[in-house]
Amino acid sequence: MSVGLHSVQEPEPEMVLEVEDLYTEIYLRRRVVHAVDGVSLSIRAGETLGIVGESGCGKSMTAMSIMQLLPPGGHITGGSVRLGGVDLLSLPESEMRKRRGSDIGMIFQDPLTSLNPTMTIGAQIAEAVHLHRDVSRAKAMDRAVEVLDMVGIAQARKRIEDYPHQFSGGMRQRVVIAIALACEPRLLIADEPTTALDVTIQAQILDLIERLRRELGMAVMLVTHDLGVIAGHADRVSVVYAGRVVENAGTDDLFARPQHRYTQALFNAMPERAGDSGESLLNIPGLPPDLSLPQTGCRFAARCQFAQSDCRASYPPLEEVAGSRSPGHRFACFHPVGKTAPIELVRTRFAERNNVEPVTLLQVEHLEKDFPITHGVLQRKIGAVSAVADVSFGVSRGRTFGLVGESGCGKTTTGRLLCGLDLPTNGVVRVEGADVARWKGKEGRRRRRSVQFMFQDSYASLDPRMRIGSILREPLEIQGIGNRRSQEKTVRELLGSVGLPYGARERYAHELSGGQRQRVGLARALALEPSLIVADEPVSALDVSVQAQILNLMRELQNTRDVTYVLISHDLGVVRYLSDTIGVMYLGKLVEIGPADDVYLHPAHPYTHGLIEAIPGVDPSRERQAVPVLGELPSAANPPSGCRFRTRCPFAQEICALEEPVLEPTGTAGHRVACHFPLKTGGPSPIRYRRT
Amino acid sequence: MIGFLIRRVLQAIVVLFVVSVITFILLHMLPGGEARAVLGVKATPVQIAAFNHTNGLDKSLPVQYVEWLGQVLQGHLGYSYHLNQTVASLIAEKLPKTIVLNAIALIISVGLAIPIGIRQAVKRNKAFDYAATGLSFIFYSSPIFFLALVLVLWFSLDLGWLPSEAPQSGSVVGILSQPTELVLPVLTLVLAQIALFSRYMRSSFMDGLVQDYVRTAKAKGASDLRVQYLHILRNSLIPMATLIGLSLPGILGGALIVEQVFNYPGMGLLFWQEAQVNDYPVLLGVTLIGGAATVVGNLIADVLYGVLDPRVRY
Repeated sequence: MSVGLHSVQEPEPEMVLEVEDLYTEIYLRRRVVHAVDGVSLSIRAGETLGIVGESGCGKSMTAMSIMQLLPPGGHITGGSVRLGGVDLLSLPESEMRKRRGSDIGMIFQDPLTSLNPTMTIGAQIAEAVHLHRDVSRAKAMDRAVEVLDMVGIAQARKRIEDYPHQFSGGMRQRVVIAIALACEPRLLIADEPTTALDVTIQAQILDLIERLRRELGMAVMLVTHDLGVIAGHADRVSVVYAGRVVENAGTDDLFARPQHRYTQALFNAMPERAGDSGESLLNIPGLPPDLSLPQTGCRFAARCQFAQSDCRASYPPLEEVAGSRSPGHRFACFHPVGKTAPIELVRTRFAERNNVEPVTLLQVEHLEKDFPITHGVLQRKIGAVSAVADVSFGVSRGRTFGLVGESGCGKTTTGRLLCGLDLPTNGVVRVEGADVARWKGKEGRRRRRSVQFMFQDSYASLDPRMRIGSILREPLEIQGIGNRRSQEKTVRELLGSVGLPYGARERYAHELSGGQRQRVGLARALALEPSLIVADEPVSALDVSVQAQILNLMRELQNTRDVTYVLISHDLGVVRYLSDTIGVMYLGKLVEIGPADDVYLHPAHPYTHGLIEAIPGVDPSRERQAVPVLGELPSAANPPSGCRFRTRCPFAQEICALEEPVLEPTGTAGHRVACHFPLKTGGPSPIRYRRT
Repeated sequence: MIGFLIRRVLQAIVVLFVVSVITFILLHMLPGGEARAVLGVKATPVQIAAFNHTNGLDKSLPVQYVEWLGQVLQGHLGYSYHLNQTVASLIAEKLPKTIVLNAIALIISVGLAIPIGIRQAVKRNKAFDYAATGLSFIFYSSPIFFLALVLVLWFSLDLGWLPSEAPQSGSVVGILSQPTELVLPVLTLVLAQIALFSRYMRSSFMDGLVQDYVRTAKAKGASDLRVQYLHILRNSLIPMATLIGLSLPGILGGALIVEQVFNYPGMGLLFWQEAQVNDYPVLLGVTLIGGAATVVGNLIADVLYGVLDPRVRY
């Protein structure tokens, strides 16, 4: 843990990056976006500065301004960026180019697209060396092998000949890191480095960045929307809103005593904070302001429950926290936390579920799905990817079943099977007693109404050329429900129930924000009054504040409409918040199932435990294992014998390879686990993890 | 890769079979018939019946087709009564010339279209882009015979710089030794093709410019030129490979007109002349070769695709 690394006595390490009063504007066709609006920050050698805020608040633009790699139309209009004392903004492009990749390394959000698909990774790393060091081709390749080894790619010498598509997402992010580190930069800018990765891989990558920072003594700028990521891995944090730094503090201090109302609101919106208290999440209403419009006063005032007239009149200055023991805690808020609280923040309690006898709505029995692998002239089947292997569970009407696991574990395939979008290789899915696979013909079409799907990518799942009204009416038209007038009426009701204005029916998908689009996605799923909605990662593409809005809405609609959810997500916090029962999947197998709270607080399977440990915590003081789950998901085409998790399990014994564990009760009602050596419930687990 | 090639060749055989059936039926539906074509307008019905009988033309269409196919499978493409030569020898004489003309035109047009498209993409919505787009559309939308005639009018009749007729030599070497005569036919084809290729290159390169790996390369400190030619080029050539392969039949069609306008002694001219006298064996043979060229073009595109894109493995 890097927090508190430098004691007061030691001489302060040198200042690597100093950004002062930086302004960046982006000229679009008809307007100017003030993306960065007077940002100041600094990072010392060996220190990690976290930059946190919602999307569109200027975090990435700040990073790209430092690199001077702005999108077309982007200009830095004021301020200074000094790297080791040299003002980068005064350098000509040719000089700046020498510093990119050499003095400043950068890693990006999506490792799947950040690498050139037609170049070997060796060539891509060696290129970075070549550009800045006068070395031979062979020497540059040697260096590539060296850094690949450093970022934890096994058999680096062999793998430099491979192309990016031969690596998994997590491995590709390691390659991107290797490129950034090839010339040992003084500053590493990591822009959402783990947002696109699984929680277990995220933990590995964050750990890697931290280790490299220590070894190389770099300054690290960690840009993220996830307060959890900041908690475990930054020394100091700058909270950014609408192009400005609104609060600046040591990480511990910020988490213990947030001052700015925006920081507080970000914390309150996290599902982990609500647990399963049965209370709504405190969302942040509305959206960040349009940065192309002139702003007066505090930019957060429009969304702030504490805003007074002074907030709207002038911008609050960045002030030091009075009497703080930790120097450097500054914030820009007239009515900070603890000082004035005339309004009580109320978490609405959701109505207690009616405890009538639960009726089973969805019954999944021994569900299996294989995808064939073919080869040769005749496309013979030479094997199969076992995507879902013998999964059984049941869900009662009006309840939520959460399905958790890493990407590639088969949870999305399971979701598709539940809706009848794919047919199972073996096993049955019954909704209201009827076999989904047999929904054919007229009767089948009518029955299909009872199961609807909600997608992860709200943008891609809405037809860009259809108005929202038509999108919502389409299911009714297909099913031949009512006439045009009654359909319009249903659309109006649907929009109202998901909290969108009636005017939204005239809009196109691109005119709405991500959160609004996901509301449309929910409304569309509800249009046919289904008894079951399968929601596949419904909030993973959304900011935490908007995520809270959607989660609250889903919960509220469940109470009013008695709809059943199957919630598929990689995020245990989200799943726990919404679910009554949680099922954990690993490589096609259901390894643990039980009441949400019991699974979360007393995981019995080492994998579940690892997943929970891997969640970047909201509490920075809590000690945790560095890398809770080792390695990566094995191939489903050739799953390990016996227990499929054994290759990554710290407790694996011989029996785990020989005998496949079956789901057995743990002792708590309804909680079952498939493990030969389940963890004992209660108390901290005594697991010692191997380090690679 | 081998398995893929075998599969594709098997598919190609099926395609060629279907092409031959369709062509055979269509040609025999034409009025007049082969006998009239050979014996002339003054031939009596008795003479025609005798001709048809000796050459097996009085049999039913399916029987004729099977016989023709049997000959083709043995390597005999038939005999041109009109030219008194076997179809195979005619094609062997003319095909290389057509290939030479089209290959030169294709190499030049692709070679020019790629840098033009790249420059257009990089400087999009600037003067160069607008000029190139405008010219592209003019050339692309003008009929190829009109383009050829305009070029002849300007360069050979008005300016007198270039001859208006293509080289007439009997051999490929002879044709290549007369480069000035080749300029106008090649130029016509290049102008007609370059528009399509540069438009595709422009949009394909524009897609490349906004990719994340471009940002990664820039963050390494690579210059704009390096990023464009080292990183984006290969990626944006991938869709071009398909386009070039698919445009081969179109190119042959264009060459047919160009050969006729410039009196270039290739397959196109042969087809044009024999089509007017219902010389069925020649027409069938040339169509079959055209079909084969289409199939081969597609195959080349697929193979190129695999070469350019390491993610594609057959």
